Amino acid sequence: MKKIIALVLAVLMVATCAATLSSCKKDSGTIKIGLSGPLTGPAASYGIAVANSAQLAVDEINAAGGLNGIKFELLPTDDAHDASKVATNYAAMEAKGMQVALGCVTSGPCLEFAKLSKDANLFFLTPSASANDVVKENNAYQMCFADGNQGTYAANYVKSLYEANTLGKLGILYKSDDNYSTGLYEQFMATIPTALKDAAVVATFTGDEATVDFTSQVTQLQECTFIFMPIYYTPAAAFMSKAVGKVANSATYYGCDGFDGIDTSVEGFDITAIPQKVSMLSHFNSSATTGKAADYIKAYKAKYPNAPLNQFGASAYDCVYALYYAMKTAIDAGKEITADISATDLCEILKEQFNGGFTYTGSVTGTGTVKWASTGFVEKDAVAYVIKEAN
Amino acid sequence: MSARLAVFFKNPFWRRYGNYLAVLAVAVVFGALSVSGVATSATQYLLEKIAIAVILAVSLCMVVGFLGELSLGHAGFMCVGAYAGGKIASLLVEALGGNQNSIVVLLLSLLVGGIVAALFGFIIGLPALRLRGDYLAIVTLAFGEIVRSVVMNVPAKLFGGTLGLETPRFNKKYLFIIALIMVIACLAVAQNLMRSKHGRAIVSIKDNEIAARATGIDVTKYKLFVFTVSSFFAGIAGVLYSYSNYRLQSANFDYNYSIEILVMVVLGGMGSINGSMIAAALITFLNVKLQTTLTGNLAVLQNFFYAIILIIIVIYKNAPGLKTFREKYNMNVLLSKLKARLKKQPAPVSADAKEDAENE
Amino acid sequence: MNFITALINGLSAGGTYAIIALGYTMVYGIAKMLNFAHGDIIMVGGYAMYLTLLAAGHPVLALIAAIVCCVVLGVLVERFAYKPLRGASPLAVLITAIGVSFLLQSVAQIAFGTSPKMLSALKINGFISVGTLKIDYSTLVTLAVTVLVMVGLTVFVKYSKTGRAMVAVSEDRDAALLMGINTNAIIAVTFAIGSALAAVACYLMLTKGSSVTATFGAMPGIKAFTAAVIGGIGSIPGAMLGGILLGVVESISLSIPALAPYTDAVEFAILIVILLVKPAGLLGKMRREKV
Repeated sequence: MKKIIALVLAVLMVATCAATLSSCKKDSGTIKIGLSGPLTGPAASYGIAVANSAQLAVDEINAAGGLNGIKFELLPTDDAHDASKVATNYAAMEAKGMQVALGCVTSGPCLEFAKLSKDANLFFLTPSASANDVVKENNAYQMCFADGNQGTYAANYVKSLYEANTLGKLGILYKSDDNYSTGLYEQFMATIPTALKDAAVVATFTGDEATVDFTSQVTQLQECTFIFMPIYYTPAAAFMSKAVGKVANSATYYGCDGFDGIDTSVEGFDITAIPQKVSMLSHFNSSATTGKAADYIKAYKAKYPNAPLNQFGASAYDCVYALYYAMKTAIDAGKEITADISATDLCEILKEQFNGGFTYTGSVTGTGTVKWASTGFVEKDAVAYVIKEAN
Repeated sequence: MSARLAVFFKNPFWRRYGNYLAVLAVAVVFGALSVSGVATSATQYLLEKIAIAVILAVSLCMVVGFLGELSLGHAGFMCVGAYAGGKIASLLVEALGGNQNSIVVLLLSLLVGGIVAALFGFIIGLPALRLRGDYLAIVTLAFGEIVRSVVMNVPAKLFGGTLGLETPRFNKKYLFIIALIMVIACLAVAQNLMRSKHGRAIVSIKDNEIAARATGIDVTKYKLFVFTVSSFFAGIAGVLYSYSNYRLQSANFDYNYSIEILVMVVLGGMGSINGSMIAAALITFLNVKLQTTLTGNLAVLQNFFYAIILIIIVIYKNAPGLKTFREKYNMNVLLSKLKARLKKQPAPVSADAKEDAENE
Repeated sequence: MNFITALINGLSAGGTYAIIALGYTMVYGIAKMLNFAHGDIIMVGGYAMYLTLLAAGHPVLALIAAIVCCVVLGVLVERFAYKPLRGASPLAVLITAIGVSFLLQSVAQIAFGTSPKMLSALKINGFISVGTLKIDYSTLVTLAVTVLVMVGLTVFVKYSKTGRAMVAVSEDRDAALLMGINTNAIIAVTFAIGSALAAVACYLMLTKGSSVTATFGAMPGIKAFTAAVIGGIGSIPGAMLGGILLGVVESISLSIPALAPYTDAVEFAILIVILLVKPAGLLGKMRREKV
């Protein structure tokens, strides 16, 4: 037994030593963009859409000649929506020469990424990690709306309906173990008038969102005429199809950007079978048929016909292009960006850009132009989409 | 030369202190590499993870291997320790002006985390240890899930809610050294306990509880004692875990994590501390390697390979039908054959190999 | 009124748990192993229905295909992953079961991707109104199927030769072997029945509108395991009782806003309390250990 122990330990040590020494290798020639997201596990739909869309943008940019000849390269890693895996991914991407990043796809892991990148002074622009604290440091920027801001927008909209006396009975459905959902919910509740808050019916669910059976929640909310649902499209679709005939047909389902994809990404769900009005306040609409968004959707579907398509992906596509144009603007302004620029140097250049009023035009999300506040929050227009009118 | 070496290693000293020295050697060698700036952060993270996994595996080994009780809630005790220690650490760090690398704070929170976890171990163990095998397993599993759910849903001011608790992150250059020292402490407790008369009492409970009771051993007291000590070290591992991340997320401490620790103990041969250590190190290493090698579109293969490797190893190591195969092709026999071929002598079956075959 | 609705919803959720728990409990009773891969058999059943619906498009056909698929898979898993370990430590079998669970989940993600599949064709819409109560047809179907399964299984175990052999094997495997019972065959049959029940449970879940993903079976699996233990693992009526009880507790807890986020904790707390009062579960037999 001793021998086996000794042998195994020796092998392990040699292996780690090898890892220690071999990881400094860095092949130059491309600017490397790091990304950590859930490519496996229950949140994989979101991570895969991001990885695919970012790759699509990278491929398009490279096919068009890159950044003045410098090609981009995406380093997609899997964190399975687990923050404790992020450091390992970060180290691995760093060893491969990551110079700039899209951060993480989901908020929890991205908070870890934010700290790591702060220590290393690496710039990141996250497509979808929407917790307010993600962009607390000055090297971090968001492409999606922060949870707090979205909650406020939604609350203001609901407040306006309430004041115009067209709201009726308010119901809320949120997922109590998800930070996106609770973030929006808490901000929403803090913003709406107290009288409305006290009268609202609140239902919650937890766990794997695809398997939730919404019988209980539908029962709780069936009297409501306006249901605010700060949740993602999969459970939203399940809830709506469960509520047919129970919730009044004249009711409205109202969601935020998590709703996007409800009409396109849930296989087997037919939104036209839902009698109620479905609307959302979002920066992207997966069933868009005009403009840049439609071009992106077409290109994405051509390249990844079976992969999930949602606003996470659209946002990631925008992130890569925003980084590209920011670098291009910097070069035009006389900065020097080479393929082997260090992460810190690139971070300083990009910070200056994003802080100094850089505007990204031609975006897929929002209404075409995207700017950033010095806080790291995105400034673009949210559009109220009516996914489906009441029948 | 090699004969002399063999005699040297036969010394009981090695049997007693070999594993301490191995851990110490790793700590010294990689500590030197790390402090001098040669070791990459990947290595530092890996060693942190390995040290935490080893503490978890050795402490669970005390319950599963020595006491013979199945616990599926080890991650729950770890969670309790992590949140208690992490909360204390973040409060102290804030009060002391933001120095995340204060060793005093670290030691204090290790102590607090360990004690709180031990307390929970005691409270859960008191009634639960009366239950029979698989029922104990489900109660511990349930405990872990309750802890996870409660920590996540209490007001965010307390434990950070769904976004998790922000905790100090100790300098990665040194944290794994401290974690490895905690491994040695854990080893010392587990090993000395098992080599004492109490250890023999504990093993007798596993072998035959009724007979043990008949010889006057206070079964309940021993069970509770082992369970509490094991929870204490799970708590220690939890605090180290909280110190190795910027943010604690209770979602990580689900029953799958408990099961992963159990896998380490089972693959390590159940009753063997060294086996648990090696299995913990190897499984952690394997997981990290799978995570960093299979990226992008290949990420989906991580669990696939992990599962295949797991099934093959368990069947190979445990299947009664493969016993003759194992005896014919185990590492010792192959090694001695190799040695014999090098020396051009017929292969002797070494005493060591025989002993190994008996052990298995 | 709310309470009555919660109760009825709970009966429906509990029925599904009960049917899954039956699979757990039978396998445990006979093979003495915790089959952690049982939940993933449910998931495979879901994908089998998905494929059948794509090809043939009939719900009944889909159910039959899922049952066949699950039975074949259950027996294969038993043959290749568990049978080699018969006689080894129960923990080794437990670990293999977990390995099988991971394997099935990753294969499902490789084969079907990550997008959830909602099988609208299986969904049973509509409800009947009793006063102000609205009871889903799917709830009624679930309750009917649950009762049917329970009665069928009880009759099978009590009166058929195979069923009685199963009881014999679960009581004492060695003695059963000596009496000329082919224990290996009985264990395989048990896995087949458990897997078939998993397919039925999957069908019931889909009639309520759940979507199939690679992790579809994980949570129902663990809940059903809890239910089986509450009722007394190894006991068929116990699994039914445990399942229903767990479903009702879950539904009531969800209907109380302050308690709703803690629902999982409440369910597991109930389990602990029950085990502390009745250490072998509600209907489990306490066995005295012989010296």
